[in-house]
Order: sequence, then C-alpha cells, then structure tokens
Amino acid sequence: MLEIRNLYATVEGREILNGINLIIRPGETHAIMGPNGSGKSTLANVIAGRDGYVVTDGEIRFDGKNLLEMDPETRACEGLFLAFQYPVEIPGVANLYFLKAAVNAVRKYRGETSVDAMDFWDLVHERMELVKMDESMLKRSVNEGFSGGEKKRNEVFQMAVLQPRFAVMDETDSGLDIDALKVVADGVNALRSPERGFLVITHYQRLLDYIVPDHVHVLVNGRIARSGGKELAVELEREGYALYNEEPGRARRAV
Amino acid sequence: MTAIAPLLSDPYHQSFAAFMAERREPEFISRLRQAAFARFETLGWPTRRQEAWRFTDLSDLQALTLQRPSTALIDAAALPSLEIPTHRLVFVNGRLAPGLSQVRELPERAMIAGFSQALPDHSALIEPVLDSLPGLQSHPFAALNTAFWEDGALIYLPRNAVIEEPIHLVFYATGGDMAVYPRLFLMLEQEAQATVVVECRGQGSYCNAPLAELQLSHGATLHYHQVQEESPQAFHLSGIRVRQSRASQTQLHLFSSGGQLARTDLEVLLDGEQAECLVNGLTLGQENQTGDYHLRIEHAQPHGTSEQVFKSVLEGKSRSVFDGMIHVRKHAQKTDARQTNRNLLLSRHAQAHANPRLEILADDVKCGHGSSTGFLDPDAEFYLRARGIPLAQARALLVHAFAKDSLTRIALTPLRERLDRVLATRLALDSLEGN
Repeated sequence: MLEIRNLYATVEGREILNGINLIIRPGETHAIMGPNGSGKSTLANVIAGRDGYVVTDGEIRFDGKNLLEMDPETRACEGLFLAFQYPVEIPGVANLYFLKAAVNAVRKYRGETSVDAMDFWDLVHERMELVKMDESMLKRSVNEGFSGGEKKRNEVFQMAVLQPRFAVMDETDSGLDIDALKVVADGVNALRSPERGFLVITHYQRLLDYIVPDHVHVLVNGRIARSGGKELAVELEREGYALYNEEPGRARRAV
Repeated sequence: MTAIAPLLSDPYHQSFAAFMAERREPEFISRLRQAAFARFETLGWPTRRQEAWRFTDLSDLQALTLQRPSTALIDAAALPSLEIPTHRLVFVNGRLAPGLSQVRELPERAMIAGFSQALPDHSALIEPVLDSLPGLQSHPFAALNTAFWEDGALIYLPRNAVIEEPIHLVFYATGGDMAVYPRLFLMLEQEAQATVVVECRGQGSYCNAPLAELQLSHGATLHYHQVQEESPQAFHLSGIRVRQSRASQTQLHLFSSGGQLARTDLEVLLDGEQAECLVNGLTLGQENQTGDYHLRIEHAQPHGTSEQVFKSVLEGKSRSVFDGMIHVRKHAQKTDARQTNRNLLLSRHAQAHANPRLEILADDVKCGHGSSTGFLDPDAEFYLRARGIPLAQARALLVHAFAKDSLTRIALTPLRERLDRVLATRLALDSLEGN
C-alpha cells in the first residue's frame, strides 16, 4: 500500500532523511519511534507533500502510484490522511463547512456528485460520537480556541469522516492527558480495518499501549536503525534512545 | 525669464461660467456654488506633493472633470436591485430619472425626492442646512460638487418617523468621458430612523464625484451603505460629511470593488453626548485598481463611541490606502474610539498603505488603533490542501474568512447576501452556503 524506498530529504538545505526504506501493507499499523530531531515529523510532512521538504533521492509509492509527483490535495483525494502534530487554527472557516468542502473535494476527484446534505449530517453525527466531540465544535472556526485535546480529537474526527485508506498520525499523543489519549486511540482503533493502513509517529511508548502496532521502527538520524514487533516499543521505553545516539543532534531541525 | 504657466483654473472658469448661465435656481444656491468654486480655486488641483493626495494619481482625471454630462437613458435591467421593496431614486449622469424611480408611501411630512423637484416647494427647509455641515473644507472634489451638482436626493424624516424599507439611491453614469456630481442631503429629526443604500456604478470612462451630507438629531439612527461598483475605467471620488447630535447612532458601511481609482473622504462630527458611529469598510482590489479611504472622526462631546474597521483584499498590482484619524477634543471625556485596519495581499505586487492617526486632547478616554498587512497563512493553506481541497479553493476560503466579518456587520440582509455573492464571484467560489 505504501512503499518508501531509499528516501532522502532535506529541509532548508540540511539533510534530515538519509535513506529510509519502509513497506506498509493494507491492514497494518506501523509505529515509528525516535528521539527528537531524528526526522519523524519530516517523514510525515514529506509523505503529505508539505512545501519546504525537498526529496533529494528515493521514492514513495502509494498503491503503486508515484506519490511524490502529486500535490498535497491529490494525495488526500487518493486516500492519504495526515493527522497534524500541530493542527492549524483557521479563523472564519466553520469546522462543518470545512469538512463538507473536504468531503466534496474528494468526491469530485473520484467523479462522484456532491454529498447529500442529510447523509452528510448523519455521517458527521455518527463520527462525532466516536471521538466524543461536542456538536458546538462543528460551528466553531476550525481549531480556533480549541484546547490541545480538542484539536487532536478534531483531527481524528476529520479522519473518521473522510475515511482515508492510509493515515499518518504525527505525534497525535503529544500534549494529551490520559483520558484524551484514550478517546483518540479508541477513535483510531475503530477505524482500523483490513483495507486501511496506519503509520503512527510518536516519541513515547505510552500511545502504543492503546494503539497496538504490528511493527515498530526506530528512527535515528534520518534512518531506520531497528525494526521489530510491538515489544520493541516496550524495550525503548525501558532503555531510552541512548543506544542509538551515535551522532546526537545530527538530524535535529531548527523550528 | 521663466514662462508663466496659464492659471490652472482658467478652463474651470469657463466651464463654471457656462454652467451658471444655464442654471435657473434660488439665489442661495447660486451663492453656495460661487463660494464653493472660489474655494476650489484657492485649493487648486490636488497634487501628490500634498500629504492627503500622496497616493492618489489624478493625472488622467483632470480633463475629465471639465466635461459636462450628457443626457442618457438606461435600461432598468442595468440597475442593481435589493430584491425587497424599497424607495428608489435613480440618477443617470447626475439627473433624476423619474421613470426608474419610485417612492412608496411615507410617514407624514417625510420626504424622499429629487432635489430639483423638491426645491421650489421646500426652499425654506433646504436653505439653512444645505452645505452647512463642517468637514471636507479642504477637499477639492467636495468643492467641485457644490459648484457643479445638478441634482440629487433629498431625504427628510421628521421627529419619530421610522422608515422600514431601505432608501435605495443609484448614481449611474453612462460614460463617454464626463464628470457627474450627484448630491445627497439627508436630515433625520429626533428619534427618526432610516436605512440608505447608495450604489455607484456605470459604464465606460467617467468621473463620479458624489457628495453626501448626513445630519442626525437627538436619538436618530442611520444605517448608511455606499456600494461602489463603478466601471473598470471610472474614477470615483466621493465625499461624506456627517454630523451627529446626542445619542444618535450611525453605521456607515463602505464597500468598494470597482473603478480604476476610488477614493472616499469621510468626516464624522460627533457633536452630542453619547453619539455612536461605526465605519465598516471593505475594499476588493485587483489589476491596477486603487482603493483609497481618508477618514476623520471628530469627538467633540463626552461619552461618544466610534469604531472604524477597514479591510482590504488586494490582488494583482492593486493598492489600498487607509488614512484614518481619530480626533478627540479636550472636552470629549470618556470617549471610546477604536480603529482597525487589516490588509490581505494576494500578490507580491499589491500594496497596502496604512496611516492610522490619533489626536487626543482629552485625558480620560479609551482610544486604540491597530494595523496589519500580510499574505495568506501558508500553514492554513497546507492544512486545507492536506484534506483534499484544491489550492485555488483553499485560498478562496481563506480570503472569504478574512473578509466576511466586514459583511457580517451589515444588517441589511439582501445587500449583505448580494455582496457576499460579489465576493464569492471574485474569488471564483461556487457556494459559501453554510459558512
């Protein structure tokens, strides 16, 4: 479903990803763990197609198609979803309106007609319950004035409405207390299916107690230093990343 | 020896003399015209060396302002509509077009009429007040308007008169290189209420220089809208003077999307305690358009409130100018005056100039101003795109989000909805329903 081969990428001229190889099949959930500055978020942003992340070598294929040739909206329409580490506040655009525009953009891309208003409303309500979101959040501007937990829930809610085939969760656990973490994890788990793949990026093992991955990869200095099963996450939590820090901070990016 | 350039005003003299020779009107009006013409001569043609005209390039305009308008007919289909019952006066090339105008039933003693029509019977009402409001004394186009206006709207509401239907004034110019100087005089007596929509539009090349005088007595309420959608070749130079008495309220909504050069000079005198004024401006600029606003809010009495909110959305090589002054006189304690100017640049070649100014002579006031100019937020753009929304639509959504609270402040629903459609069309958005 997603194939990353020999991927090299730079940000502002600095080499951040240094030859990543990763294959995720339908139905699989992979976790990427790693110390700060190892390139985790860069990988998420490269997959989603954000400006400023320059791929210097390698390729990413999504169901065999060359992902790197697509602009971000095409990737989304093809079924890719990025849950943002820092969801953006967009004053003046109502959450519900934004979601409908997104749903219709994807439908248009597939050659389908716009969503029926009643069907959309039913879908939204059903999905809201999944992440225990309050209806008032629909009318508010996208993420504006949302707490950290509300923003992350809104990401999972959008994912639940858009039903992508592959989702990248970029540090979805950061800034969440344990209750919010469970809600978010439950939302993700409810969407897991044999057709859908997930790439869960996290610094801490804690999230992986709730979203249990099939494979865990350790990213260090822009390379996958080690791969294993879910037990690897537990080991990392115990041992820390010190073992892997041959060249500390080499891939650290300025914010 | 240096050659002496011919006096700037010579052609104006000829034009004014010819104009006056044709007029048949009460002497007080002739006197006003002569005084205004003399003022224009003293002021001279504005140059960019003058601070107030620094950003206003009038080099193509001067010849136009001498051209007297022709008589023309227009098709009713060319007129803007509010899609609800209104009192409508249409002025084509500065003259009332009775066939396109319709005034509905009015409260007793209230009047909505063309000036030329009303003048013979209502000189006694008009004489003491016409051109009597302070403000715009050094504005050459206000002087030109008073010298050359031919017709206009006269709106008078007696005490406690409330007119529910909007008063819809259309100043239409048919082009062919001419200058039109429509006039509006509005007077609301105590506790009277009115909603006025002034639409400026036309075709081809012309200069439209309307002047409005708005006078509110105690407790009167006015919702005033100026909708500037002139033709792309047109010059628009409007002046608005307002005087508000105690506890009166005005909302002045200024929407600007047309013309090659559109400038509005506005002066509001809050001349009674607890007077309130909102000035809400939205300018859409594209190509080489200039949208230019010069405002002065004069707080003369205590406990007054004023708010200026001006936004511009600029594409291409367009520019906006916001020059806003809050002046608080020494006596005007407990004034609450705010001013905000926000500009969104959609191209690297667009420019926004902001000149917010405060002059505060009282010591117990709340005054604030803020100005910001920027591009669309790339993070917000990416966020929308990452959900599948195409780039053009993402940008349009963000622009609409920026501009829409200007429209939200317009209480007159059919106008607000129409302007929202203008905005959506400009942004090439299919529908903004639900946002």
